[in-house]
Amino acid sequence: MNRLPRLRVLHGLLLLLLLLLLLLVMVDAAMAQPFGLNRGTAPSEVGGFAGWILAKQAEFYRMLSGLIRAAKADGSAAYTLLGISFLYGVFHAAGPGHGKAVISSYLVANNETWRRGIVLSFASAILQAFSAIAIVGVVAALLGATAKVMGDTVRVIEIVSYALILLIGLRLLWVKGRALLQAVGLKERAHAHDHAHEHGHGHHHHHDHDASAWSHGHAPEPSELAGVHWLRRGLTAIVAVGLRPCSGAIIVLVFALAQGLFWIGVASTFVMGLGTAITVAAIATLAVGARELAGRLAKAKPGAGVIILRGLETAAALVIVLFGAALLTGYLASERLMGV
Amino acid sequence: MNVLLRILFVSLLVLAAGSLAQAHPHVWVTMQTELVYAPDGTITGIRHAWSFDDMFSTFATQGLESKEKGKFTRDELAPLAKVNVESLKEFGYFTFATADGKKMELTDPAPGFWLDYKDQVLTLNFLLPFKKPVKAKELKVEIYDPSIFVDFAFAKDKPVQLAGAPKCKLDVVLPREMTFAEGKALSQIPAEEKNTTMAWGAQFASKILVHCP
Repeated sequence: MNRLPRLRVLHGLLLLLLLLLLLLVMVDAAMAQPFGLNRGTAPSEVGGFAGWILAKQAEFYRMLSGLIRAAKADGSAAYTLLGISFLYGVFHAAGPGHGKAVISSYLVANNETWRRGIVLSFASAILQAFSAIAIVGVVAALLGATAKVMGDTVRVIEIVSYALILLIGLRLLWVKGRALLQAVGLKERAHAHDHAHEHGHGHHHHHDHDASAWSHGHAPEPSELAGVHWLRRGLTAIVAVGLRPCSGAIIVLVFALAQGLFWIGVASTFVMGLGTAITVAAIATLAVGARELAGRLAKAKPGAGVIILRGLETAAALVIVLFGAALLTGYLASERLMGV
Repeated sequence: MNVLLRILFVSLLVLAAGSLAQAHPHVWVTMQTELVYAPDGTITGIRHAWSFDDMFSTFATQGLESKEKGKFTRDELAPLAKVNVESLKEFGYFTFATADGKKMELTDPAPGFWLDYKDQVLTLNFLLPFKKPVKAKELKVEIYDPSIFVDFAFAKDKPVQLAGAPKCKLDVVLPREMTFAEGKALSQIPAEEKNTTMAWGAQFASKILVHCP
């Protein structure tokens, strides 16, 4: 008879751990530096898996210039270039930036499915490739402007992109935060009632949220956020994340342009975007999986479970707000085009 | 369900560990550094020669006017050098020095900094004077970007030199440029194994130690 409560405690602990990990990943994933606080101390040692990712992406990136040069003399080098561009994209996206955190948090907050997560990841990565190509194509190739002009253009785009992230976060926080308060309020009210009523009310309440927590066709309260128009709604997220081009892609494109191989640079950028999309989609899928698991665990805990889920969604929305604010104020540098 | 749970946990753990890498270099700098001493043995400044990688060099010179295509003179690069030096200020010139454990303040670069362009590589030359030149038994200079956007590595040839400090001893110079072979070796270390033989992080903190009597 002792087993049941113990199991429940275990489940609770697991749920808590899962949420903590999820938050950690979301917060950390896009940070170039932990809120810029480590200025003045040497970066700590990076070993093992992280060091490996780091070494790989640096290695691939540094191979790109040689391959673009080689492609000039020998067309078949272009295939190698595309292969390496793809790998670079995959590994590069594992670092900060590229909207992993925003997309993951968005999916968690909105309780989207993994399929939608993959669509959002790919759409934003492709938009990012387009954005880099458009900037280099127009500013550098057509207008012949300097790197400084390109840098300034990126900065303007950046501000729009970060402001959008902040807006998305605020909107989500408003809706999800209210849902959380409502869930808390409902539970308290249920407690205040007499036993019979509490039972009835509590049961009804539980059932209601049961549906809304992990099915997508439901109607009221945060329904607006997980309903039919998810793609249109997701469009803001796609634009917010995809508008800002990757500095690496811009540098590669300019380099290819200087070698008279702009189109090879364009192809490389798209393949890079594809690689990026795969990594971002994988991470987004993990986040959605964790969210769903948390949902299933929470299902076992009627009243508190709903509050925990709403809490998680609110936290995810808060993460987006913090990101947007930190990026917008320059507190957090996702990437920078230094010195030009 | 339990299997699923375990898979999720492991993936999240790996992710959490992996994403802490925070690495993103887009600019590679190969540097030569000279520590400048006055005749009385005080350290007065640090002279840097930073060569950018070819992709960034091409990017930075994009659209710049030059008389001869593909070549830039010092004069033609002067405006870019000014922008470079000015924007480096925000990052403390990525140069962090201590004298006998005390932090040394640097001033803005002395006038006369310049960029040159050779073999499609831009090199930024500038001298960072110390605010208060001091005599130091132990001088430590580190050059790195805390956000790892710029990757600094010493040149294989003449990485660090002492100018006018005959009695001082250059003790430690860390690290060198990582070769592709080393990168490959690093990549072959299994992910779950703690990498102790090749301290990758040391690649970021290029450290100079000078001991004077």
